[in-house]
Amino acid sequence: MFEARGLMVFYENMLALNNVSVACGADQIIGVFGANSAGKSTLMYTLSGIMLDIQKKEEMAGGERITMRGEIIYNGRDMMRLKPSERAKAGIVLCPERRRIFPESTVLENLMIGAYLADSRRTAQTLEYVFTIFAPLKRLSKRLGGFLSGGEQQMLAIGRALMAQPKQLLLDEPLLGLSPVVQYLLVKSIKEIRDQRNTAIIVSEQYARPVMPIIDYGYILENGASVVAGTNRELMDNPDVRSAYFGS
Amino acid sequence: MAETTQDRRKERLDRGIKVRTDSVYAISHWQEMTYMLAPRLVFILGLLALPLILSFFPYWQRVISIVCIYALLAVGFDFLANHVGLVSLGGGFYVGVGAYMAALLNLKFGLPPVVTVPIATFAGGVFCTLLFLPCLPLRGVYFAIVSLMFPLLAGRVIEALDIFGGTDGLLGVESFGNPWVERYLLIGSVLVAVFVLRRLLIEDVGLVFRGVKDNDQAVKASAINITVYKALGVYFASTLGCLGGACLTHIYMWAGLSQFALDYSIIPIAATVVGGGGTLIGSVLGCLILVPISEMLRDFGTLRIAVYALILTAFIVYKSEGLMNYGARKYEQFERWVRI
Repeated sequence: MFEARGLMVFYENMLALNNVSVACGADQIIGVFGANSAGKSTLMYTLSGIMLDIQKKEEMAGGERITMRGEIIYNGRDMMRLKPSERAKAGIVLCPERRRIFPESTVLENLMIGAYLADSRRTAQTLEYVFTIFAPLKRLSKRLGGFLSGGEQQMLAIGRALMAQPKQLLLDEPLLGLSPVVQYLLVKSIKEIRDQRNTAIIVSEQYARPVMPIIDYGYILENGASVVAGTNRELMDNPDVRSAYFGS
Repeated sequence: MAETTQDRRKERLDRGIKVRTDSVYAISHWQEMTYMLAPRLVFILGLLALPLILSFFPYWQRVISIVCIYALLAVGFDFLANHVGLVSLGGGFYVGVGAYMAALLNLKFGLPPVVTVPIATFAGGVFCTLLFLPCLPLRGVYFAIVSLMFPLLAGRVIEALDIFGGTDGLLGVESFGNPWVERYLLIGSVLVAVFVLRRLLIEDVGLVFRGVKDNDQAVKASAINITVYKALGVYFASTLGCLGGACLTHIYMWAGLSQFALDYSIIPIAATVVGGGGTLIGSVLGCLILVPISEMLRDFGTLRIAVYALILTAFIVYKSEGLMNYGARKYEQFERWVRI
Protein backbone atom coordinates (compact mmCIF):
# COMPACT_ATOMS: atom_id res chain seq x y z
CA MET A 1 0.00 0.00 0.00
CA PHE A 2 1.43 3.31 -1.15
CA GLU A 3 -0.16 6.35 0.32
CA ALA A 4 0.48 10.08 0.28
CA ARG A 5 -1.46 12.25 2.69
CA GLY A 6 -1.90 16.01 2.65
CA LEU A 7 0.95 16.77 0.27
CA MET A 8 1.70 20.47 -0.02
CA VAL A 9 4.47 21.81 -2.22
CA PHE A 10 5.38 25.47 -2.54
CA TYR A 11 7.58 26.87 -5.28
CA GLU A 12 8.59 30.04 -3.46
CA ASN A 13 5.17 31.60 -2.74
CA MET A 14 3.28 29.63 -5.38
CA LEU A 15 1.27 26.70 -4.15
CA ALA A 16 1.93 23.88 -6.60
CA LEU A 17 0.26 21.08 -4.66
CA ASN A 18 -2.52 21.88 -2.24
CA ASN A 19 -3.35 19.19 0.26
CA VAL A 20 -3.28 16.32 -2.25
CA SER A 21 -3.83 12.79 -0.99
CA VAL A 22 -3.27 9.77 -3.20
CA ALA A 23 -3.51 6.09 -2.34
CA CYS A 24 -2.51 3.09 -4.44
CA GLY A 25 -3.14 -0.51 -3.45
CA ALA A 26 -0.64 -3.29 -4.12
CA ASP A 27 -2.22 -4.38 -7.43
CA GLN A 28 -3.91 -1.20 -8.56
CA ILE A 29 -3.46 1.21 -11.42
CA ILE A 30 -4.16 4.75 -10.32
CA GLY A 31 -4.68 7.59 -12.78
CA VAL A 32 -3.79 11.22 -12.13
CA PHE A 33 -5.29 13.60 -14.68
CA GLY A 34 -4.99 17.32 -15.11
CA ALA A 35 -4.16 20.10 -17.54
CA ASN A 36 -0.75 21.72 -17.95
CA SER A 37 0.50 23.19 -14.66
CA ALA A 38 -2.14 21.32 -12.68
CA GLY A 39 0.64 19.75 -10.59
CA LYS A 40 0.95 16.28 -12.13
CA SER A 41 4.71 16.36 -12.53
CA THR A 42 5.18 18.05 -9.16
CA LEU A 43 3.20 15.21 -7.62
CA MET A 44 5.31 12.58 -9.40
CA TYR A 45 8.56 14.31 -8.41
CA THR A 46 7.39 14.55 -4.81
CA LEU A 47 6.33 10.90 -4.68
CA SER A 48 9.60 9.69 -6.19
CA GLY A 49 11.79 12.02 -4.13
CA ILE A 50 13.29 13.86 -7.10
CA MET A 51 11.78 17.00 -5.56
CA LEU A 52 14.30 16.77 -2.70
CA ASP A 53 17.03 16.88 -5.32
CA ILE A 54 15.47 19.86 -7.12
CA GLN A 55 15.01 21.58 -3.78
CA LYS A 56 18.68 21.19 -2.94
CA LYS A 57 19.85 22.41 -6.34
CA GLU A 58 17.61 25.48 -6.18
CA GLU A 59 18.81 26.22 -2.69
CA MET A 60 22.47 26.07 -3.72
CA ALA A 61 21.93 28.27 -6.75
CA GLY A 62 19.92 30.76 -4.69
CA GLY A 63 16.83 30.11 -6.76
CA GLU A 64 13.29 29.30 -5.71
CA ARG A 65 12.77 28.02 -2.23
CA ILE A 66 10.75 24.79 -2.37
CA THR A 67 8.79 23.84 0.73
CA MET A 68 7.28 20.38 1.10
CA ARG A 69 4.84 19.13 3.66
CA GLY A 70 2.74 16.04 4.18
CA GLU A 71 3.53 12.38 4.47
CA ILE A 72 4.26 9.52 2.12
CA ILE A 73 3.79 6.07 3.60
CA TYR A 74 4.83 2.90 1.80
CA ASN A 75 4.08 -0.40 3.51
CA GLY A 76 3.97 1.34 6.86
CA ARG A 77 7.29 3.12 6.32
CA ASP A 78 7.63 6.92 6.19
CA MET A 79 9.22 7.91 2.88
CA MET A 80 9.00 11.70 3.00
CA ARG A 81 12.65 12.35 3.92
CA LEU A 82 14.18 9.46 1.92
CA LYS A 83 16.40 10.25 -1.04
CA PRO A 84 15.24 9.18 -4.51
CA SER A 85 17.82 6.39 -4.57
CA GLU A 86 16.60 5.03 -1.24
CA ARG A 87 13.01 5.15 -2.45
CA ALA A 88 14.03 3.26 -5.58
CA LYS A 89 15.63 0.63 -3.35
CA ALA A 90 12.33 0.37 -1.48
CA GLY A 91 10.63 -0.28 -4.82
CA ILE A 92 9.27 3.15 -5.81
CA VAL A 93 10.59 3.82 -9.32
CA LEU A 94 9.82 6.84 -11.47
CA CYS A 95 9.68 6.77 -15.26
CA PRO A 96 10.11 10.50 -15.85
CA GLU A 97 8.24 12.82 -18.14
CA ARG A 98 9.67 13.23 -21.64
CA ARG A 99 11.43 9.90 -21.18
CA ARG A 100 14.94 11.11 -20.30
CA ILE A 101 16.63 8.10 -21.86
CA PHE A 102 20.40 8.16 -22.33
CA PRO A 103 20.69 9.18 -26.00
CA GLU A 104 24.32 8.17 -26.44
CA SER A 105 23.97 4.67 -25.00
CA THR A 106 22.51 1.72 -26.85
CA VAL A 107 19.11 0.30 -25.99
CA LEU A 108 20.70 -2.60 -24.14
CA GLU A 109 23.00 -0.28 -22.19
CA ASN A 110 20.04 1.92 -21.27
CA LEU A 111 18.24 -1.09 -19.87
CA MET A 112 21.32 -2.35 -18.02
CA ILE A 113 21.75 1.03 -16.30
CA GLY A 114 18.25 0.54 -14.91
CA ALA A 115 19.27 -2.87 -13.60
CA TYR A 116 21.79 -1.39 -11.16
CA LEU A 117 19.82 -2.63 -8.13
CA ALA A 118 18.99 -6.15 -9.33
CA ASP A 119 21.07 -9.31 -9.16
CA SER A 120 22.13 -11.03 -12.39
CA ARG A 121 19.44 -13.71 -12.35
CA ARG A 122 16.62 -11.21 -11.96
CA THR A 123 18.28 -8.90 -14.48
CA ALA A 124 18.33 -11.61 -17.14
CA GLN A 125 14.76 -12.55 -16.38
CA THR A 126 13.51 -8.95 -16.44
CA LEU A 127 15.43 -8.22 -19.62
CA GLU A 128 13.69 -11.09 -21.30
CA TYR A 129 10.36 -9.85 -20.01
CA VAL A 130 11.00 -6.30 -21.33
CA PHE A 131 11.88 -7.74 -24.75
CA THR A 132 8.66 -9.76 -24.66
CA ILE A 133 6.26 -6.92 -23.91
CA PHE A 134 8.18 -4.37 -25.95
CA ALA A 135 9.17 -6.59 -28.89
CA PRO A 136 10.62 -3.76 -31.07
CA LEU A 137 13.34 -3.12 -28.48
CA LYS A 138 14.88 -6.55 -29.02
CA ARG A 139 15.43 -5.85 -32.69
CA LEU A 140 16.90 -2.42 -31.87
CA SER A 141 19.01 -3.46 -28.89
CA LYS A 142 22.30 -2.33 -30.50
CA ARG A 143 20.97 1.04 -31.62
CA LEU A 144 21.72 4.29 -29.78
CA GLY A 145 18.83 5.55 -27.65
CA GLY A 146 18.81 8.93 -29.37
CA PHE A 147 18.04 7.34 -32.74
CA LEU A 148 14.81 5.67 -31.60
CA SER A 149 11.37 7.00 -32.48
CA GLY A 150 9.26 8.62 -29.78
CA GLY A 151 7.23 5.48 -29.13
CA GLU A 152 10.31 3.27 -28.97
CA GLN A 153 11.97 5.72 -26.60
CA GLN A 154 8.95 5.57 -24.32
CA MET A 155 9.06 1.76 -24.37
CA LEU A 156 12.73 1.99 -23.50
CA ALA A 157 12.02 4.38 -20.62
CA ILE A 158 9.37 2.09 -19.16
CA GLY A 159 11.63 -0.90 -19.75
CA ARG A 160 14.49 0.83 -17.93
CA ALA A 161 12.18 1.54 -14.99
CA LEU A 162 11.12 -2.12 -14.94
CA MET A 163 14.74 -3.24 -14.76
CA ALA A 164 14.97 -1.57 -11.33
CA GLN A 165 12.45 -4.15 -10.06
CA PRO A 166 9.73 -1.70 -9.06
CA LYS A 167 6.96 -2.62 -6.69
CA GLN A 168 5.38 0.79 -7.18
CA LEU A 169 5.90 2.24 -10.64
CA LEU A 170 5.30 5.94 -11.26
CA LEU A 171 4.68 6.77 -14.94
CA ASP A 172 4.75 10.49 -15.67
CA GLU A 173 2.88 11.23 -18.91
CA PRO A 174 3.91 8.04 -20.74
CA LEU A 175 1.72 8.86 -23.76
CA LEU A 176 3.04 12.39 -24.34
CA GLY A 177 3.33 13.17 -28.04
CA LEU A 178 2.64 9.66 -29.32
CA SER A 179 0.29 8.54 -32.06
CA PRO A 180 -3.04 6.91 -31.06
CA VAL A 181 -1.86 3.49 -32.23
CA VAL A 182 1.28 3.60 -30.09
CA GLN A 183 -0.75 5.02 -27.21
CA TYR A 184 -3.09 2.04 -27.43
CA LEU A 185 -0.19 -0.43 -27.44
CA LEU A 186 1.50 1.23 -24.48
CA VAL A 187 -1.69 1.31 -22.43
CA LYS A 188 -2.11 -2.40 -23.10
CA SER A 189 1.47 -3.03 -21.96
CA ILE A 190 0.94 -0.98 -18.80
CA LYS A 191 -1.99 -3.18 -17.87
CA GLU A 192 0.07 -6.30 -18.65
CA ILE A 193 2.87 -5.09 -16.42
CA ARG A 194 0.44 -4.72 -13.54
CA ASP A 195 -1.11 -8.14 -14.14
CA GLN A 196 2.09 -10.11 -14.80
CA ARG A 197 4.64 -8.39 -12.55
CA ASN A 198 2.42 -7.61 -9.54
CA THR A 199 3.45 -3.99 -9.82
CA ALA A 200 1.26 -1.18 -8.57
CA ILE A 201 1.24 1.73 -10.99
CA ILE A 202 0.42 5.41 -10.75
CA VAL A 203 0.11 6.97 -14.18
CA SER A 204 -0.35 10.66 -14.91
CA GLU A 205 -1.82 11.93 -18.15
CA GLN A 206 -3.27 15.10 -19.59
CA TYR A 207 -5.81 13.43 -21.81
CA ALA A 208 -7.71 10.82 -19.87
CA ARG A 209 -9.45 8.81 -22.56
CA PRO A 210 -6.76 6.26 -23.53
CA VAL A 211 -5.81 5.45 -19.94
CA MET A 212 -9.27 5.54 -18.36
CA PRO A 213 -10.31 1.94 -19.19
CA ILE A 214 -7.39 0.37 -17.32
CA ILE A 215 -7.38 2.40 -14.12
CA ASP A 216 -8.94 1.26 -10.86
CA TYR A 217 -9.19 4.68 -9.34
CA GLY A 218 -8.47 8.18 -10.61
CA TYR A 219 -7.78 11.67 -9.35
CA ILE A 220 -8.38 14.91 -11.22
CA LEU A 221 -5.98 17.71 -10.36
CA GLU A 222 -6.77 21.35 -10.95
CA ASN A 223 -4.46 24.17 -9.90
CA GLY A 224 -2.62 21.82 -7.60
CA ALA A 225 -5.68 20.52 -5.79
CA SER A 226 -7.44 17.20 -6.19
CA VAL A 227 -10.96 18.26 -7.20
CA VAL A 228 -12.59 14.97 -8.16
CA ALA A 229 -11.68 11.40 -7.34
CA GLY A 230 -13.38 8.12 -8.05
CA THR A 231 -13.32 4.81 -9.86
CA ASN A 232 -13.14 4.99 -13.65
CA ARG A 233 -16.90 4.42 -13.86
CA GLU A 234 -17.58 7.31 -11.48
CA LEU A 235 -15.21 9.61 -13.29
CA MET A 236 -16.69 8.81 -16.69
CA ASP A 237 -20.19 9.45 -15.40
CA ASN A 238 -19.24 12.84 -13.98
CA PRO A 239 -20.41 15.44 -16.54
CA ASP A 240 -17.69 17.99 -15.64
CA VAL A 241 -14.97 15.40 -16.04
CA ARG A 242 -16.48 14.18 -19.30
CA SER A 243 -16.46 17.59 -20.90
CA ALA A 244 -13.00 18.56 -19.64
CA TYR A 245 -11.04 15.34 -20.10
CA PHE A 246 -12.88 13.32 -22.74
CA GLY A 247 -13.69 16.08 -25.18
CA SER A 248 -17.33 15.15 -25.48
CA MET B 1 -2.58 23.14 18.86
CA ALA B 2 1.12 23.73 19.27
CA GLU B 3 2.78 25.15 16.21
CA THR B 4 5.55 22.95 14.91
CA THR B 5 8.17 23.91 12.39
CA GLN B 6 6.32 21.76 9.88
CA ASP B 7 3.38 24.12 10.00
CA ARG B 8 5.47 27.09 8.96
CA ARG B 9 7.39 28.03 5.93
CA LYS B 10 9.60 30.96 5.12
CA GLU B 11 8.05 33.35 2.68
CA ARG B 12 10.02 35.66 0.43
CA LEU B 13 8.40 38.90 -0.66
CA ASP B 14 9.54 42.00 -2.52
CA ARG B 15 10.02 44.98 -0.26
CA GLY B 16 7.35 47.65 -0.60
CA ILE B 17 9.90 50.24 -1.59
CA LYS B 18 11.22 47.97 -4.35
CA VAL B 19 7.75 47.54 -5.80
CA ARG B 20 7.12 51.29 -5.68
CA THR B 21 10.52 52.01 -7.20
CA ASP B 22 9.73 49.76 -10.14
CA SER B 23 6.76 51.97 -10.98
CA VAL B 24 6.29 55.68 -11.61
CA TYR B 25 7.06 56.55 -7.96
CA ALA B 26 10.71 56.12 -8.80
CA ILE B 27 10.96 59.67 -10.09
CA SER B 28 8.53 61.32 -7.71
CA HIS B 29 9.81 60.73 -4.23
CA TRP B 30 13.24 61.04 -2.68
CA GLN B 31 12.96 57.73 -0.81
CA GLU B 32 12.41 55.76 -3.99
CA MET B 33 15.07 57.74 -5.81
CA THR B 34 17.52 57.00 -3.01
CA TYR B 35 16.59 53.34 -2.98
CA MET B 36 17.24 53.11 -6.71
CA LEU B 37 20.36 55.25 -6.87
CA ALA B 38 22.13 54.28 -3.64
CA PRO B 39 23.67 50.98 -4.78
CA ARG B 40 24.75 52.48 -8.10
CA LEU B 41 26.25 55.54 -6.43
CA VAL B 42 28.08 53.43 -3.84
CA PHE B 43 29.63 51.44 -6.68
CA ILE B 44 30.53 54.44 -8.86
CA LEU B 45 31.73 56.79 -6.14
CA GLY B 46 33.46 53.99 -4.27
CA LEU B 47 35.46 53.03 -7.32
CA LEU B 48 36.28 56.67 -8.10
CA ALA B 49 37.38 57.34 -4.52
CA LEU B 50 39.66 54.30 -4.20
CA PRO B 51 42.85 55.91 -5.59
CA LEU B 52 42.28 58.98 -3.37
CA ILE B 53 41.76 56.85 -0.27
CA LEU B 54 44.92 54.92 -1.04
CA SER B 55 46.96 58.01 -1.97
CA PHE B 56 49.49 57.29 0.80
CA PHE B 57 50.04 53.76 -0.46
CA PRO B 58 51.33 54.12 -4.04
CA TYR B 59 51.85 50.38 -4.27
CA TRP B 60 48.16 49.73 -3.61
CA GLN B 61 47.16 52.43 -6.07
CA ARG B 62 48.99 50.39 -8.70
CA VAL B 63 47.13 47.30 -7.48
CA ILE B 64 43.85 49.16 -8.09
CA SER B 65 44.92 49.69 -11.70
CA ILE B 66 45.65 45.98 -12.04
CA VAL B 67 42.28 45.25 -10.43
CA CYS B 68 40.65 47.38 -13.12
CA ILE B 69 42.44 45.53 -15.92
CA TYR B 70 41.19 42.23 -14.52
CA ALA B 71 37.76 43.79 -14.01
CA LEU B 72 37.58 44.72 -17.71
CA LEU B 73 38.38 41.11 -18.60
CA ALA B 74 35.92 39.78 -16.04
CA VAL B 75 33.11 42.01 -17.27
CA GLY B 76 33.83 40.80 -20.80
CA PHE B 77 33.90 37.19 -19.66
CA ASP B 78 30.68 37.53 -17.66
CA PHE B 79 28.93 39.20 -20.59
CA LEU B 80 30.10 36.56 -23.05
CA ALA B 81 29.49 33.54 -20.81
CA ASN B 82 26.23 34.47 -19.11
CA HIS B 83 24.54 36.55 -21.77
CA VAL B 84 25.84 35.23 -25.11
CA GLY B 85 26.60 31.68 -24.03
CA LEU B 86 30.24 31.53 -25.10
CA VAL B 87 32.63 30.47 -22.34
CA SER B 88 35.80 32.17 -23.49
CA LEU B 89 39.19 31.40 -21.98
CA GLY B 90 40.84 33.80 -24.43
CA GLY B 91 41.40 36.58 -21.87
CA GLY B 92 45.17 36.18 -22.10
CA PHE B 93 45.00 36.54 -25.86
CA TYR B 94 42.98 39.77 -25.72
CA VAL B 95 45.44 41.32 -23.26
CA GLY B 96 48.42 40.18 -25.30
CA VAL B 97 47.02 41.55 -28.55
CA GLY B 98 46.20 44.90 -26.95
CA ALA B 99 49.59 45.08 -25.27
CA TYR B 100 51.66 44.25 -28.37
CA MET B 101 49.57 46.48 -30.59
CA ALA B 102 49.95 49.49 -28.30
CA ALA B 103 53.67 48.82 -27.85
CA LEU B 104 54.31 48.48 -31.60
CA LEU B 105 52.34 51.63 -32.41
CA ASN B 106 54.31 53.51 -29.80
CA LEU B 107 57.75 52.19 -30.72
CA LYS B 108 57.54 51.97 -34.53
CA PHE B 109 55.40 55.02 -35.24
CA GLY B 110 56.16 57.09 -32.16
CA LEU B 111 52.50 57.61 -31.35
CA PRO B 112 51.68 58.83 -27.82
CA PRO B 113 49.50 56.74 -25.45
CA VAL B 114 46.52 58.97 -26.10
CA VAL B 115 46.50 57.63 -29.68
CA THR B 116 47.86 54.09 -29.18
CA VAL B 117 45.36 53.08 -26.47
CA PRO B 118 42.21 53.79 -28.52
CA ILE B 119 43.69 52.26 -31.69
CA ALA B 120 44.91 49.15 -29.85
CA THR B 121 41.53 48.84 -28.16
CA PHE B 122 39.32 48.96 -31.21
CA ALA B 123 41.68 47.50 -33.84
CA GLY B 124 42.69 44.82 -31.34
CA GLY B 125 39.03 43.95 -30.86
CA VAL B 126 38.56 43.61 -34.61
CA PHE B 127 41.74 41.49 -34.89
CA CYS B 128 40.66 39.14 -32.09
CA THR B 129 37.15 38.82 -33.50
CA LEU B 130 38.46 37.94 -36.96
CA LEU B 131 40.69 35.22 -35.51
CA PHE B 132 37.81 33.86 -33.43
CA LEU B 133 35.38 33.85 -36.39
CA PRO B 134 36.12 30.25 -37.48
CA CYS B 135 35.48 29.01 -33.93
CA LEU B 136 32.11 30.68 -33.45
CA PRO B 137 29.96 27.73 -34.57
CA LEU B 138 31.38 25.83 -31.58
CA ARG B 139 29.49 25.83 -28.33
CA GLY B 140 30.10 25.14 -24.68
CA VAL B 141 33.24 23.36 -23.67
CA TYR B 142 34.53 23.11 -27.27
CA PHE B 143 34.61 26.87 -27.64
CA ALA B 144 36.32 27.11 -24.26
CA ILE B 145 39.07 24.70 -25.37
CA VAL B 146 39.69 26.48 -28.67
CA SER B 147 39.71 29.91 -27.05
CA LEU B 148 42.25 28.65 -24.51
CA MET B 149 44.48 27.64 -27.40
CA PHE B 150 44.85 31.24 -28.66
CA PRO B 151 46.91 32.71 -25.80
CA LEU B 152 49.09 29.58 -25.66
CA LEU B 153 49.62 29.65 -29.41
CA ALA B 154 50.35 33.38 -29.67
CA GLY B 155 53.17 33.18 -27.13
CA ARG B 156 54.78 30.22 -28.89
CA VAL B 157 54.50 31.84 -32.33
CA ILE B 158 56.24 35.01 -31.16
CA GLU B 159 58.91 32.92 -29.46
CA ALA B 160 59.50 30.64 -32.42
CA LEU B 161 59.53 33.29 -35.14
CA ASP B 162 61.46 35.69 -32.92
CA ILE B 163 59.28 38.59 -34.01
CA PHE B 164 58.26 41.58 -31.85
CA GLY B 165 61.39 41.26 -29.73
CA GLY B 166 60.98 37.51 -29.23
CA THR B 167 61.38 36.34 -25.66
CA ASP B 168 62.76 39.71 -24.53
CA GLY B 169 59.59 41.53 -25.48
CA LEU B 170 59.32 45.15 -26.53
CA LEU B 171 61.16 47.49 -24.18
CA GLY B 172 61.04 51.23 -23.79
CA VAL B 173 57.35 51.87 -24.30
CA GLU B 174 56.28 55.35 -23.29
CA SER B 175 54.45 55.60 -19.95
CA PHE B 176 51.25 57.50 -19.29
CA GLY B 177 53.29 60.28 -17.70
CA ASN B 178 50.87 61.29 -15.02
CA PRO B 179 49.91 58.32 -12.79
CA TRP B 180 46.47 59.84 -12.16
CA VAL B 181 45.71 59.54 -15.87
CA GLU B 182 46.50 55.83 -15.71
CA ARG B 183 44.31 55.30 -12.62
CA TYR B 184 41.28 57.22 -13.76
CA LEU B 185 41.47 56.06 -17.37
CA LEU B 186 41.10 52.49 -16.13
CA ILE B 187 38.46 53.20 -13.50
CA GLY B 188 36.46 55.26 -16.00
CA SER B 189 36.73 52.44 -18.57
CA VAL B 190 35.42 49.88 -16.09
CA LEU B 191 32.45 52.09 -15.21
CA VAL B 192 31.67 52.83 -18.86
CA ALA B 193 32.02 49.15 -19.79
CA VAL B 194 29.71 47.96 -17.01
CA PHE B 195 26.98 50.51 -17.59
CA VAL B 196 27.10 50.39 -21.40
CA LEU B 197 26.86 46.59 -21.39
CA ARG B 198 24.06 46.65 -18.81
CA ARG B 199 22.17 49.07 -21.01
CA LEU B 200 22.89 47.03 -24.11
CA LEU B 201 21.41 43.94 -22.48
CA ILE B 202 18.02 45.52 -21.93
CA GLU B 203 17.87 46.76 -25.52
CA ASP B 204 16.58 44.58 -28.36
CA VAL B 205 20.06 43.39 -29.21
CA GLY B 206 20.40 42.12 -25.64
CA LEU B 207 17.28 40.04 -26.13
CA VAL B 208 18.88 38.36 -29.13
CA PHE B 209 22.08 37.75 -27.16
CA ARG B 210 20.16 35.97 -24.43
CA GLY B 211 18.21 34.06 -27.06
CA VAL B 212 21.47 32.82 -28.59
CA LYS B 213 22.49 31.61 -25.16
CA ASP B 214 19.21 29.88 -24.33
CA ASN B 215 18.36 28.24 -27.63
CA ASP B 216 20.37 29.16 -30.71
CA GLN B 217 18.26 26.98 -33.00
CA ALA B 218 15.11 28.93 -32.13
CA VAL B 219 16.99 32.17 -32.83
CA LYS B 220 18.11 30.82 -36.20
CA ALA B 221 14.52 29.87 -36.94
CA SER B 222 13.59 33.52 -36.38
CA ALA B 223 15.75 34.42 -39.40
CA ILE B 224 18.54 35.90 -37.28
CA ASN B 225 22.15 35.18 -38.17
CA ILE B 226 23.56 34.01 -34.87
CA THR B 227 27.18 34.15 -36.06
CA VAL B 228 26.87 37.92 -36.42
CA TYR B 229 25.66 38.23 -32.86
CA LYS B 230 28.26 35.87 -31.49
CA ALA B 231 30.94 37.85 -33.33
CA LEU B 232 29.52 41.06 -31.88
CA GLY B 233 29.68 39.54 -28.39
CA VAL B 234 33.28 38.43 -28.89
CA TYR B 235 34.08 41.91 -30.23
CA PHE B 236 32.77 43.59 -27.06
CA ALA B 237 34.63 41.18 -24.79
CA SER B 238 37.90 41.32 -26.74
CA THR B 239 37.75 45.12 -26.99
CA LEU B 240 37.62 45.32 -23.21
CA GLY B 241 40.53 42.87 -22.95
CA CYS B 242 42.61 44.80 -25.51
CA LEU B 243 41.95 48.04 -23.63
CA GLY B 244 43.27 46.37 -20.50
CA GLY B 245 46.32 45.07 -22.39
CA ALA B 246 47.11 48.44 -23.95
CA CYS B 247 46.98 50.13 -20.55
CA LEU B 248 49.11 47.38 -19.05
CA THR B 249 51.82 48.00 -21.65
CA HIS B 250 51.95 51.70 -20.91
CA ILE B 251 51.90 51.10 -17.15
CA TYR B 252 54.86 48.70 -17.21
CA MET B 253 56.47 50.41 -20.26
CA TRP B 254 56.99 46.97 -21.72
CA ALA B 255 55.17 44.35 -23.76
CA GLY B 256 56.20 40.74 -23.43
CA LEU B 257 55.19 37.12 -23.56
CA SER B 258 53.90 37.16 -19.99
CA GLN B 259 50.99 39.25 -21.22
CA PHE B 260 49.63 36.13 -22.88
CA ALA B 261 49.69 34.49 -19.43
CA LEU B 262 46.82 32.26 -18.43
CA ASP B 263 46.22 34.42 -15.33
CA TYR B 264 44.30 36.74 -17.61
CA SER B 265 42.11 33.88 -18.72
CA ILE B 266 41.53 32.25 -15.34
CA ILE B 267 41.25 35.01 -12.73
CA PRO B 268 38.31 36.71 -14.51
CA ILE B 269 36.40 33.41 -14.30
CA ALA B 270 37.12 33.10 -10.60
CA ALA B 271 36.04 36.72 -10.09
CA THR B 272 32.80 36.12 -11.96
CA VAL B 273 32.00 33.08 -9.86
CA VAL B 274 32.73 34.93 -6.62
CA GLY B 275 30.87 38.07 -7.63
CA GLY B 276 27.87 36.40 -9.17
CA GLY B 277 27.52 35.43 -12.82
CA GLY B 278 25.32 37.53 -15.06
CA THR B 279 25.41 40.68 -12.97
CA LEU B 280 28.47 42.37 -14.60
CA ILE B 281 28.97 44.51 -11.48
CA GLY B 282 29.47 41.30 -9.55
CA SER B 283 32.51 40.41 -11.61
CA VAL B 284 34.07 43.81 -10.83
CA LEU B 285 33.37 43.13 -7.18
CA GLY B 286 35.00 39.71 -7.52
CA CYS B 287 38.17 41.30 -8.95
CA LEU B 288 38.22 43.83 -6.10
CA ILE B 289 38.31 40.91 -3.69
CA LEU B 290 40.49 38.37 -5.50
CA VAL B 291 43.26 40.50 -7.02
CA PRO B 292 44.29 42.18 -3.73
CA ILE B 293 44.24 38.75 -2.04
CA SER B 294 46.47 37.52 -4.80
CA GLU B 295 48.85 40.47 -4.21
CA MET B 296 48.97 39.74 -0.48
CA LEU B 297 49.79 36.12 -1.20
CA ARG B 298 52.61 37.03 -3.56
CA ASP B 299 55.18 35.87 -0.97
CA PHE B 300 53.84 32.34 -1.17
CA GLY B 301 54.66 32.04 -4.87
CA THR B 302 52.69 29.46 -6.74
CA LEU B 303 50.78 28.53 -3.58
CA ARG B 304 48.56 31.44 -4.63
CA ILE B 305 46.88 29.15 -7.08
CA ALA B 306 46.02 26.70 -4.30
CA VAL B 307 44.40 29.48 -2.27
CA TYR B 308 42.52 30.56 -5.36
CA ALA B 309 41.29 27.04 -5.93
CA LEU B 310 40.07 26.86 -2.34
CA ILE B 311 38.18 30.16 -2.57
CA LEU B 312 36.65 29.14 -5.87
CA THR B 313 35.62 25.71 -4.59
CA ALA B 314 34.10 27.18 -1.45
CA PHE B 315 32.05 29.66 -3.46
CA ILE B 316 30.88 27.09 -5.98
CA VAL B 317 29.84 24.66 -3.25
CA TYR B 318 28.36 27.02 -0.67
CA LYS B 319 27.28 30.14 -2.57
CA SER B 320 27.12 29.31 -6.24
CA GLU B 321 24.87 32.30 -6.90
CA GLY B 322 27.75 34.66 -5.99
CA LEU B 323 27.91 37.76 -3.81
CA MET B 324 26.04 40.13 -6.08
CA ASN B 325 22.98 37.93 -6.64
CA TYR B 326 22.83 37.22 -2.92
CA GLY B 327 23.16 40.89 -2.03
CA ALA B 328 20.56 41.97 -4.58
CA ARG B 329 18.07 39.49 -3.14
CA LYS B 330 18.62 40.74 0.40
CA TYR B 331 18.27 44.34 -0.82
CA GLU B 332 15.09 43.75 -2.78
CA GLN B 333 13.26 41.14 -0.74
CA PHE B 334 12.50 40.28 2.83
CA GLU B 335 11.60 36.99 4.44
CA ARG B 336 9.16 36.05 7.13
CA TRP B 337 7.65 32.92 8.60
CA VAL B 338 4.07 32.21 7.67
CA ARG B 339 1.73 29.46 8.72
CA ILE B 340 0.82 27.05 6.00
